[in-house]
Amino acid sequence: MPGREAPVNRVVPTLAVTALVTWLWLPLGSIAPNRIVPGDAYLLAQAVGWSLAMVSCLPLLGLLAVAWRPTRSGYRVALALTLLLLAALPFWLALMAQQHLDPELPQARVGIGAAWWLMLFWLSLLLIELRTRLALAGWRLALSLVPVLAGWWLAGKGLESLALRQELAGREEAFGEALVQHLLLVGGAVGMSLLLGAAIALAMRQSPRVERLGFALLNFLQTIPSLALFGLLLAPLAWLSARFDWLSALGVSGIGWAPAFLALLGYSLLPMVRNTFVALSGVEPGVLEAARGMGMSRGQVFRQVRLPLALPVVLEGVRITTVQAIGLTAVAALIGAGGLGTFIFQGLGQAAMDLVLLGALPILAMALAVDALLGALTRRLDHRAGQTTGTIE
Amino acid sequence: MIELKSVTKRFGSETAVDAISLTVNRGELCALVGTSGCGKSTTLRMINRLIEHDGGEIHIDGRPIREFDGRVLRRRIGYAIQSTGLFPHWSVARNIGLVPRLLKWPAARVTERVEELMALLGLPVEQFADKYPAQLSGGQAQRVGVARALAADPDILLMDEPFGALDPITREGLQVELRDLQARLQKTIVFVTHDMDEALALADRLVVMKAGRIVQQGRPLELLRAPADAFVASLLGGDDRGLKEAAITPVVERMRPLSPRLLPQARIAREATLHQALAMMFRERVERLAVVDDEDMPVGEISLRGIVGAGLSEGRDR
Ligand SMILES: Nc1ncnc2c1ncn2[C@@H]1O[C@H](COP(=O)(O)OP(=O)(O)OP(=O)(O)O)[C@@H](O)[C@H]1O
Ligand SMILES: [Mg+2]
Repeated sequence: MPGREAPVNRVVPTLAVTALVTWLWLPLGSIAPNRIVPGDAYLLAQAVGWSLAMVSCLPLLGLLAVAWRPTRSGYRVALALTLLLLAALPFWLALMAQQHLDPELPQARVGIGAAWWLMLFWLSLLLIELRTRLALAGWRLALSLVPVLAGWWLAGKGLESLALRQELAGREEAFGEALVQHLLLVGGAVGMSLLLGAAIALAMRQSPRVERLGFALLNFLQTIPSLALFGLLLAPLAWLSARFDWLSALGVSGIGWAPAFLALLGYSLLPMVRNTFVALSGVEPGVLEAARGMGMSRGQVFRQVRLPLALPVVLEGVRITTVQAIGLTAVAALIGAGGLGTFIFQGLGQAAMDLVLLGALPILAMALAVDALLGALTRRLDHRAGQTTGTIE
Repeated sequence: MIELKSVTKRFGSETAVDAISLTVNRGELCALVGTSGCGKSTTLRMINRLIEHDGGEIHIDGRPIREFDGRVLRRRIGYAIQSTGLFPHWSVARNIGLVPRLLKWPAARVTERVEELMALLGLPVEQFADKYPAQLSGGQAQRVGVARALAADPDILLMDEPFGALDPITREGLQVELRDLQARLQKTIVFVTHDMDEALALADRLVVMKAGRIVQQGRPLELLRAPADAFVASLLGGDDRGLKEAAITPVVERMRPLSPRLLPQARIAREATLHQALAMMFRERVERLAVVDDEDMPVGEISLRGIVGAGLSEGRDR
């Protein structure tokens, strides 16, 4: 292939140099005697000593060398170096904790600093770049991340003093419950909105009047700020649960999961309906004419032609809706719906940023994972539909 | 046999097809021509009941089509359209096998039939069977579309500009194939095209439409020689009409027995058209050609006067 002999790769060295600078000149982490006091920041060299700091930079220099004359095997080496850097990331924090933490202070904790977060970011960008260069399939990349995660798990054992871990300590049960509650709310709202949304989209396809009405209503719903929507639901739900015992027995009340669920459902409906509607309407007329012209029944046309062709776009709607619901559910903690948002608001109230992170990081991870998974699934279906011609091999 | 008796179709206030009457006999190929929007596609769609006619009657083999179940009717009628309408999520082989599968043929028979058709349409099975429509060129996709229409061996074929995206050579190949198929298997075909040469070359019956009405119908030569009005004349080629006539008249019709004169050097095949003979004369700067058979044996001769038909009166009412 002609592209393989490209003289110099610019992305890899740019990222490597930027990573080098931020890694050395921004604080790796901080040590605080307890959760309230801000703590002292440590640069890498202060945290682990100059010699080790230099060692930690060697793989980055290696990346620079590889990028100078990039070949396929060179890119493989670069991938290995990047994975190595990634796997080593938590060890630097563990080292810092070991050298600087005062064993006399049980409350003392290690905070994660800008250099560490940025390094994680640069390395992710490097992975993306190398993945495209090597035309790596998603699952192979995921597989190559397994040893990295193993490294993290190992390092985690030496990191009891990590502020995040300290916040988690004693909250394991609450954390588990919040996680499950978060997933239940998101899953329930998305699942329900998929069912309802499909039904509404189908109804809207029956007549243009229903279509206009449906979109007007859903668009309006979307413009109400989330907190206001929770507030709006408070009164009627409280009234309902006071009127009907079985509702209150279910736990329905003006605050809690019920209004959160309804609000989530409301917000999820628009993207779901819109994508399903567009997907079902967007099938090429010639294909449908041919399908009927060959003697397929209406049911066969729908099941064998319209639906499979619409599926990637419907899934796109599910992806958007899910990512959005994961974020919105965090806000729902404000009305006592539970979920990971609880930690965020508690942390904000107590000015404990690490507690905020304990809630925010899993939410971020969840959103990224859903995005990647559903995105991959959509592309796969799209590929089957022949819309793409596949990756270069 | 397809019979249309003053068939009408209205879309709202607009009359797309206005009381047209037309009979296409078994084994006949009928070409519909006319300017864009004159109702050709609408006529085809009424025949397979993709849309219902508002007035008049349509009969197939003597039975009104309303007596048939629409789906059953359509499975019996092959349908090919210009945009092909191939299912993008199905492989070529699966697309072609659609109607046989709807008719519940056994799987082995479907496979056999699909491979037979792919060979017929010049699509090597190993190369194309597993491709998806997006991976085909326009012409390849159209051939798959035609193969799909032929799959269940229907007696009737409706074709709406099926060869639009093909290069002249492939197109001519398919035209020959279609004519052969129709002659051999006595298919009844209604064919829409914007290519007048294609219509003249293929049609047993040429139907000229304008604004939902049939302006004139008949054998291509009849229309060329006696267009009903200026519209038909200009649609059929205007001043080029004479050449188009030459293009569908075989040399044998104007051939004379070998004369005692010296045999001309330039020779032309017996199956060639007068148009080709003219071109040959033009190229060779001669006025006479020897007509030869398959073995290159002279069987007659043709002169410029003979081609033009000067002094020929029987040519008019042949
Ligand atoms: N489904 C429909 N709804 C409303 N009007 C239609 C519909 N289908 C066709 N028409 C109208 O009927 C008329 C005839 O259309 P038709 O498609 O039969 O034309 P055509 O002769 O096939 O033209 P072309 O050569 O461009 O394919 C046009 O004026 C068109 O606007
Ligand atoms: Mg048309």
